Amino acid sequence: MNLGIDEDELASCVNCGLCLPHCPTFRVTGAEPLSPRGRISAMRGVQVDGEVVDGAFVEVIETCVQCLGCETACPSGVPFGALMGATRASLASKRRSGHQSRLTRAALGLLGAHGAVLAGARALALGQRLRVVPRRVPLPLLPLRQERLRSTGSDVWLFTGCVMDAVQRDIHQASIRVLDRMGLGVSLPGNEASCCGALSEHAGLTDQARRMASGVMKAMPGESPIVVNSAGCGAALKNYGQLLATGEAERFSARVHDICEFLAQRKTALPPPSSARRTTVAVQDPCHLRHVQKLHESVRAVLQPYARLIELDDEGLCCGAGGSFSILHADLAVAVRELKLRAIERSGAALVVSANPGCSLFLQAAGVDVVHPVQLIDWAISGGPDGR
Amino acid sequence: MSATSENSDTPLVDDLRAVLGRDRVTVSGTERRLYRTDAAHQRGDTPAVVCFPSTTEEVRSVVLVCRKHGRPFVPRGSGTGLAGGAVPVGSPVVIVTTRMNRVVDVDLEERVAWVQPGVLNLDLTNLVRPLGFHFAPDPSSQQACTIGGNVATNSGGPHCLRYGVTSAHVVGLEVVLPDGEVVELGGPEAEPACFDLRGAFIGSEGTMGITTQVAVRLTPNPPAVMTLLLAFDDLDAAAGCVSGIIASGIIPAALEMMDGEMVSAVEDFVGAGYPRDATAVLLVEVEGLPGGVADEAERVSGVGYSFGARSVRIAEDEAERNLLWKGRKTAFGAVARIMPDYYLHDTVVPRSRLVDVLRKVREIARRHRLLVFNVFHAGDGNLHPLLVFDAREAGVAERVHAAGGEIVEVSLAAGGVLSGEHGIGLEKREYMAQMFTQDDLDAQAAVRMAFDPAGLANPGKVLPAGSRCGELGDLPAGAWI
Ligand code: SF4
Ligand code: SF4
Repeated sequence: MNLGIDEDELASCVNCGLCLPHCPTFRVTGAEPLSPRGRISAMRGVQVDGEVVDGAFVEVIETCVQCLGCETACPSGVPFGALMGATRASLASKRRSGHQSRLTRAALGLLGAHGAVLAGARALALGQRLRVVPRRVPLPLLPLRQERLRSTGSDVWLFTGCVMDAVQRDIHQASIRVLDRMGLGVSLPGNEASCCGALSEHAGLTDQARRMASGVMKAMPGESPIVVNSAGCGAALKNYGQLLATGEAERFSARVHDICEFLAQRKTALPPPSSARRTTVAVQDPCHLRHVQKLHESVRAVLQPYARLIELDDEGLCCGAGGSFSILHADLAVAVRELKLRAIERSGAALVVSANPGCSLFLQAAGVDVVHPVQLIDWAISGGPDGR
Repeated sequence: MSATSENSDTPLVDDLRAVLGRDRVTVSGTERRLYRTDAAHQRGDTPAVVCFPSTTEEVRSVVLVCRKHGRPFVPRGSGTGLAGGAVPVGSPVVIVTTRMNRVVDVDLEERVAWVQPGVLNLDLTNLVRPLGFHFAPDPSSQQACTIGGNVATNSGGPHCLRYGVTSAHVVGLEVVLPDGEVVELGGPEAEPACFDLRGAFIGSEGTMGITTQVAVRLTPNPPAVMTLLLAFDDLDAAAGCVSGIIASGIIPAALEMMDGEMVSAVEDFVGAGYPRDATAVLLVEVEGLPGGVADEAERVSGVGYSFGARSVRIAEDEAERNLLWKGRKTAFGAVARIMPDYYLHDTVVPRSRLVDVLRKVREIARRHRLLVFNVFHAGDGNLHPLLVFDAREAGVAERVHAAGGEIVEVSLAAGGVLSGEHGIGLEKREYMAQMFTQDDLDAQAAVRMAFDPAGLANPGKVLPAGSRCGELGDLPAGAWI
């Protein structure tokens, strides 16, 4: 079967295996099929040697977290994300009519309907309190009520997203406050720009991802910069140019900045900390920040004046959250998270900072105290609501 | 899962499952096929089963099952070997050690750590570094390769110039022999009670049994380290400088050389500031007490300039040092940015013949219309010429093969040996007869037979076809990919 992979890209892997230790699923299983090299070799088997697409092949592909730790590690410049993206899209279109795939499509499609996401989050939060949500659902205790977000001007857009807006609105509030202290008014896109489409794209549902992307673009017109405080969504928005392949999408993507990137470029405008006390935090690098957007240094640069930073010793190994991965492959995800928990323990820090909602929710579900960089800054400049 | 690709060798599979459970016995054809290669160039046969023991007892039981069914077995770690030692020949059982990844004990007083074979080389060093120690063998694949694999191939690495290869850092081994017996070879005691078979086992590439625990020596971290990058416009000058440095009485911790082609490829990946327009560079590391190190660095730099170095750069800090080393250690992979396949040799020649052999290697490549990149442990004359090509091009495999053979020939003629650190495996065994007489080969075969009379342990490796062990496995058809 032709997976639609560029043959030169497929041939560029020289089998050296240097990516193996940077792959979370290889780390926890030690199995070649669950390694980047194994996955590439399986793709070659199907596309070049004409081997059949069987259950084992699908498993090899679907167990990939798409963290791209392998891409960063690969000395040969193998574009793993592109290989995996093409393979998933081919599998998804081949199984279009399958039951499972229709279910995935419908579930991910719902993320674009913001009312449903908010209602769902509220129902979950209530369910957690009534103890009817199974413990294996990888979520921390969700907030029952969330304050309404208010637009404060029109200097920058703040992308609010789907799940994040439903369960981590306090991070948006903190972002608005910090931008406000820098003299920047924030516009909000409203429910039109609900889901960025990243999860659909990772599942190979390209058409769905494109529809969501168009919605997001329509909701944030004009020229002002777009600030994103979710590393995963930011990576997706920055990729619209590629996804939609239009000049308009390219211009849109060029306006997108991760909030840490945006703040790091304007460090002098950031207010100083209100006291000399520095909170000690371990920095967890979300894959979409470190391996995709390559902005993990920005996080360190903006936090420097406000906190004492501790590095984890795992070289940015994925935490296992991976969008919907923690739900679809719970056992693997939990095993991967275990490695991260041990790295956090070794660091000795009581607080962790993470710039991605997926990672923080997944780590919080395991009892880790996690905040977003912008929350740390917000507390440090305003004296902090909880004295951290 | 398609029924046809499942292994149907039910009695064997059933017995393995009885030992390891279903999860740790892989039968799917799609998954088994991914074990046909390691990091070397040859593709082998699809193994019958792949299994993942996690204890010595489980390894023993798996070996006994293989014995009962008369099935050969191939040990495998991360699969980063460069000579095909873990490539299956025939339809063996592959025994993967990656789940045996516990550091069992660290004894700082004795400076010994007991580790399971699947522990990654760099993971061990990272673990003991804060305590002031490291594991000295540092092959390029250090971040990914297992210590079991280091034992199997007697791995080296840049810093082996000063510290010696793996065998100098393994105090003792626990081994499952091919008949299922568990024995300890060597040991922390200075004088083991009987023969020291440790030395015979290290480097035997899985042909004498499977390592299940290793007692490794921990080396104290040097108080001070300095890394120098010397750039040359002339290959002879660079090679002359290598001998010059050693002749001046300095034994650097590492002394590496890259030719200009390699430097460009590496720089594309790491962006460490390697001079793209140099004809050759030397990467020199000196270590010891702070005063002495500064003095040695000064002297190395002086020798460099006296041999015509164009520039000498001293890494400012740890970050810069790490980046330079990252470039050196990812060099093999970095050439894939130019061509998708490489074939690598690992011969060692006397230092005095370096320039001569290097020139011949380039000439051989030119004659066969192939690109060649050189990166090597210059300090001990361990060459790593990489022939790069695109395997999809018709007829290229033959040219690569022929050129490889000639490289071995000129190295041996210069008084060299076949392998410095990668092992012989599958890829280099055909050259064994060029290096050894029939008597030598028979003697080696006899040692191996003493360990493995049934010929089940990684057959077809190291010794060439025609020797007493070699005929067990002929190269699989189409092995050259
Ligand atoms: S993906 Fe890159 S690092 Fe991994 S095996 Fe292939 S070439 Fe090596
Ligand atoms: S993207 Fe992540 S999970 Fe997937 S193969 Fe690469 S390192 Fe492994």
